[in-house]
Amino acid sequence: MILKKLSELKKLLDNKPVKYLVLAAAHDSQSLGAVLKAAESKIVHPILIGDEKEIRRLASEKKYDLEGIRIINEPVIEKTSEMAVKMVNSGEADILMKGKVGTSTLLKHVLNKNWGLRTGNLLSHIALFEVDTYHKLIAVTDVAMNIAPDLQDKIAIVNNSVSCLNMLGVELPKVAVLGAVEMVNESMQATLDAALLSKMNQREQIKNCIIDGPLAFDNAISLESAIHKGIRSEVAGDTDLLLMPDIEVGNVLYKSLVFFARAKVASMILGAAAPIVLTSRSDSEQAKYDSILLAAAIAK
Amino acid sequence: MITSLDQLAEKVKNKKQKPKLAVTWAQDENTLGAVEKAVKENMIEAYLYGNRSMIEKTSTRLGLDIDRFNIQHVDNEVVAAKETVRLVKSGEVDILMKGLIGTDKFLRAILDKENGLMKPGAVLSYVCAIDIPDYHKLLFVTDTAVLPFPDLDQKVAMAEYAIGMAVKFGIKKPRVALIGASEKMSKHFQNAVDYAIMCKMAERGQISPCIMDGPLDIFLACDKKSVEIKGVDTPVAGDADILLFPSLEACNPFYKGLMLFGRGELAGMLTGTEVPVVLMSRSESEKSKFYCIALSCLMAEKNN
Repeated sequence: MILKKLSELKKLLDNKPVKYLVLAAAHDSQSLGAVLKAAESKIVHPILIGDEKEIRRLASEKKYDLEGIRIINEPVIEKTSEMAVKMVNSGEADILMKGKVGTSTLLKHVLNKNWGLRTGNLLSHIALFEVDTYHKLIAVTDVAMNIAPDLQDKIAIVNNSVSCLNMLGVELPKVAVLGAVEMVNESMQATLDAALLSKMNQREQIKNCIIDGPLAFDNAISLESAIHKGIRSEVAGDTDLLLMPDIEVGNVLYKSLVFFARAKVASMILGAAAPIVLTSRSDSEQAKYDSILLAAAIAK
Repeated sequence: MITSLDQLAEKVKNKKQKPKLAVTWAQDENTLGAVEKAVKENMIEAYLYGNRSMIEKTSTRLGLDIDRFNIQHVDNEVVAAKETVRLVKSGEVDILMKGLIGTDKFLRAILDKENGLMKPGAVLSYVCAIDIPDYHKLLFVTDTAVLPFPDLDQKVAMAEYAIGMAVKFGIKKPRVALIGASEKMSKHFQNAVDYAIMCKMAERGQISPCIMDGPLDIFLACDKKSVEIKGVDTPVAGDADILLFPSLEACNPFYKGLMLFGRGELAGMLTGTEVPVVLMSRSESEKSKFYCIALSCLMAEKNN
């Protein structure tokens, strides 16, 4: 399946029961707005944990009706994340979302050994972009979570992302391992890792995808540019997933796409027992809404 | 295309301009026998640097026609090495061959930074073309003799030399198998890591012309049936022209096994040098020694 717009993710929710999303520290204007909008569109059933008074004030400010929506009054932020994680752990909720709580606080609870959401997999971040200048949605990883992934981490990140894309109906995602150049260069570790990932994919040690790399950004997304460079690649020009060498490159690309290319983005954390919506304050309410949609689409 | 070592020998005979071959410290039986045969077959002109009386004695004992040689007396092996390397360097001869001189002294002269024979940035290694009745084509194997534990750069160089040789034999796009114990990729095996990197380099045209895959075991490299049974997706597909080994200790027993048990013959030479250098072990068969000289003639040809 080829997805062209983030709004098409909604089709994936047809015939699926509506999932429960718990918002930790829900007294946050943008997160709350996105969740309530998603609830209105029947994308999720929200559970709001936070300062109830503040939640009600923000909701009325945004003219949302809280009728029938479950609110748990807990003004202490630290406790909201613990409660939210526990709810997902017990199966009361299917999706975890971060509100007005620090990422590290929330993740600390996610990684709790007794009641967290660990699966043994590495946690990684995936961002799914809708850009006018590309012929389909394009996923980018990891722009927010893993700082300087080594080969083993990259394998885990690819596996997380590929199974996410598989769930979105992209059967054999084309994975471009990004470098500054498409040539192997011994002084650039990213190009060496790319060669190893390609070989592991060829030997079916990484499955359900087609990996090629190193590819420079232009070769990865433009067939013309790949042809111009004489690169023979199944991935070049038709990439579904861009694997970043490190967080600096990833983060800058993410923000360039949003600010310069006016891309729409949905993002989430993979590798935990349930999808985690963990958007940053700088993400728009629309991005938060689309992220909820993405999480709902892959929630089990 | 040259598909056997006999064809190789035929191909380099009777050229209008025969290559000139200089032998360093030439008086031993092994060397003189092979060189005389090559001269007799109208393959080379031979210039022997050695102890004249010893050369004459050995020739008489073997019944060789001494008139076939140009003999230059030198007092000892070090002088012989210096002189012959100088001849090559000045372009007066086209091929260098080791005689009775110790391998270490011979290689020292070749590797000498100022007066030696190494191309800039080159890696001294060894490639053999092996002819075995039970394989459907010639098999180029590296490194049987020089590099104990080649690193990535050295492996790339080895591959390039072997490819260059196979191309000279008329194989347009040699299939290169990078040999390991298994086809699986593991970051814990440095060779497998190097191989994965090399495959990508080949894919990107950084090593060319070739079709490369590895790690592969010998079966996947050379036996189509095994490829089918194992279901491994490999472009080399059991049809390898070139086998690159991870170490000398893996490669050397492999080629000797083929010689001893596989009725193999070989033609081998040093690579990375400005001109072909013939260096062979005393244990090679008469035929193989002759093929080594034939190979050096082919590799000395300037334009295909």
